[in-house]
Amino acid sequence: MALRELPFRTAATLFKDARPAIRAAQPTSCRHASTEPIKEVEDASSFSIPPPSEELAKSFDPIERSKLRRRGKEPLPPSRFQYRPPKYYRGPLHPHQPPPVSDPASRLFVPGPFSLPRLEQTYQSTIASDLLTLTYQHYPPGYRAPKAPQRLREWVGDHPYFKNRPLRPPRGKGDVLRLITPPRTFRNIPKITRVTVHSMVPEAQENSAYLHIAGMVVQAITNVRATPHKARENVVAWGLREGKWVSVTSDLEREDAHHFLSKLIDVVLPKIKEWKGVPASTGDGSGNMSLGLTSDHVALFPEIEVNYDSYPPKMIPGCYITIHTDATNDKDAFLLLQSIGIPFYGKRK
Amino acid sequence: MNTGQQTTRRLAARAGRSVCWSCKDTLSRKYASAAAAALPTDDQSLQHIPPVAQPSSQDSYGIKTGVVLSRPPQITRDLHPLESAFFLYQRRLNERTALPFTRYFYYKKRTAADLEWKRKIKQRLTPARDIGRYKGYGEESWNDELLMGAKESDIHHQVEKLIEDAEQTGAQDGDEAEPVPGASNSKKEEEKIERPMPRVTEADLKNDVKSLNRQLQRTLYLLVKNQEGRWIFPQDTFAQETLHSAAGRVLTESCGENMHTWVVGNAPIGYYQQDYQNPIKTLSGLRELGAKTFFMKARIMAGQANLEGNKLGLTDFKWLAKEEVQGEVDKSYWHSVKNMLAER
Repeated sequence: MALRELPFRTAATLFKDARPAIRAAQPTSCRHASTEPIKEVEDASSFSIPPPSEELAKSFDPIERSKLRRRGKEPLPPSRFQYRPPKYYRGPLHPHQPPPVSDPASRLFVPGPFSLPRLEQTYQSTIASDLLTLTYQHYPPGYRAPKAPQRLREWVGDHPYFKNRPLRPPRGKGDVLRLITPPRTFRNIPKITRVTVHSMVPEAQENSAYLHIAGMVVQAITNVRATPHKARENVVAWGLREGKWVSVTSDLEREDAHHFLSKLIDVVLPKIKEWKGVPASTGDGSGNMSLGLTSDHVALFPEIEVNYDSYPPKMIPGCYITIHTDATNDKDAFLLLQSIGIPFYGKRK
Repeated sequence: MNTGQQTTRRLAARAGRSVCWSCKDTLSRKYASAAAAALPTDDQSLQHIPPVAQPSSQDSYGIKTGVVLSRPPQITRDLHPLESAFFLYQRRLNERTALPFTRYFYYKKRTAADLEWKRKIKQRLTPARDIGRYKGYGEESWNDELLMGAKESDIHHQVEKLIEDAEQTGAQDGDEAEPVPGASNSKKEEEKIERPMPRVTEADLKNDVKSLNRQLQRTLYLLVKNQEGRWIFPQDTFAQETLHSAAGRVLTESCGENMHTWVVGNAPIGYYQQDYQNPIKTLSGLRELGAKTFFMKARIMAGQANLEGNKLGLTDFKWLAKEEVQGEVDKSYWHSVKNMLAER
């Protein structure tokens, strides 16, 4: 195609150099679409109009206005003015589509954020840049990283089904594919992505009150609705029976996670007596770390302390707190959690 | 690929966007495959290229170690009015959409706390104490917007309201019937709530640039005045040592022992190259064209700088935020330093 157009294109290229001379003859002040015509259409901007006077603003009462408007009239039924989104999603071709989740009219709308957490601000202003400095790895200019060996196995054979098939995982049971840690840049500084609070109460199999109270406690300390879970299988050692409700979790993200962590680090952990800290051997190898709290520790949360008497005695559960980070190994996650103030003890794995 | 085809491709590329993507792709791929065939396959020797070619074996640069000593922000930043208005709007939305407050879980019936709760909820209409007088349930819940000049979204107003709520029992002056007046007064005095510390300190008002208590919301950097009267970060020539230990040495030699500092990491965060007007002959016979200062990052944990008896001939110091640093240092210095400094 390019070859077919060649004569014309060649000519255009040759004459390209002649064009600037013609362009220079044009007037220097260029006319943008946004400047001139808008003045022709409208000479006054709405921003130049002064705000309403003090008296007018003081006397403005929206409730009174709406009452005045409705006086002497039959009130409209809510169906006439209140928009209710459909209860079920009936597919993209249905004429009645639900509004986006960010719309307050949506049934799935969750308000927030309500604040800018202190921990997040500290992370942005102090921790992130320190982590980048601490984990910086220098490569001289011109350095090319050695090629990483292929960790997955190829499908060898003539079978047509092997073409373009995803590679096979490594052989054997114990060989786990660890996450690859990319070179550290300012774009991939590890940060906290979410926090999971998990509380298992096997006593709930006999007496469901335990589960309700665990749910109340987890909900109170996390500010997120707790989700109950069933036991997946029988475990005799733990007294678990399959299909029974035994635990509650709640998943915290963004603002909730930051508030929860700062509450944990600044209020709860310092109050624990004779506590060595979080064992440094924690971590799942891919940047997520957990710590456990006993029921005595959970009772130290300010939300529980404020009405401790409302909870039945000895039914406040302990819980596990898993902090998920987007670090790809435990070393980086350890550094991040240390820098936000979680005390560790002992040796790392 | 012969020469004629290459010319065609180049001409087509120069002509602008008129070549369709697939054609261009084919052309370049043809070229790339030919080039790949011509190039030797990359082997181990290619992976370690010597970093920089030295212009001449006689030219050199002096090496110095600088320390960017900083005090991180101590308090949260002031919110933009739009941010605080947005947060208040979301809180009021939350009042409308959340399940009602479980009152009897927190206040037992017929207790003093319950009576207080009843009085207070009558006044402020909502369980939340810092969103102003707004009712999320009922006929008028739509009226959640602030009027002109309303103070509710201001953080200071919210703090005042929270403290007021904690201090008062909600009883009006008229209905103080049941308790003895003297007893209620003593109770009020007991419940005096401590005010939060001001966000603007005395050092801010006096503009005391030597104090570490100024600009609590910003990162402060230590600048020192050297013998020539120029403001720089503390620095010294680099002896036989690591950058990390050199940074520690520079700090103690310049600002005294009375500082608890932490040198962050072993790698420098930036460098400044100063070219001399006339090259200097060093003792070893090299021509020194200039000096390069490598900056290490350090944080101050406690203490204060003290220049008395420093070995580097420094005369003055200042703790400055980023924009203030710009006003003090040279233009070329600022150009190489500005990207190391945090915005906040």
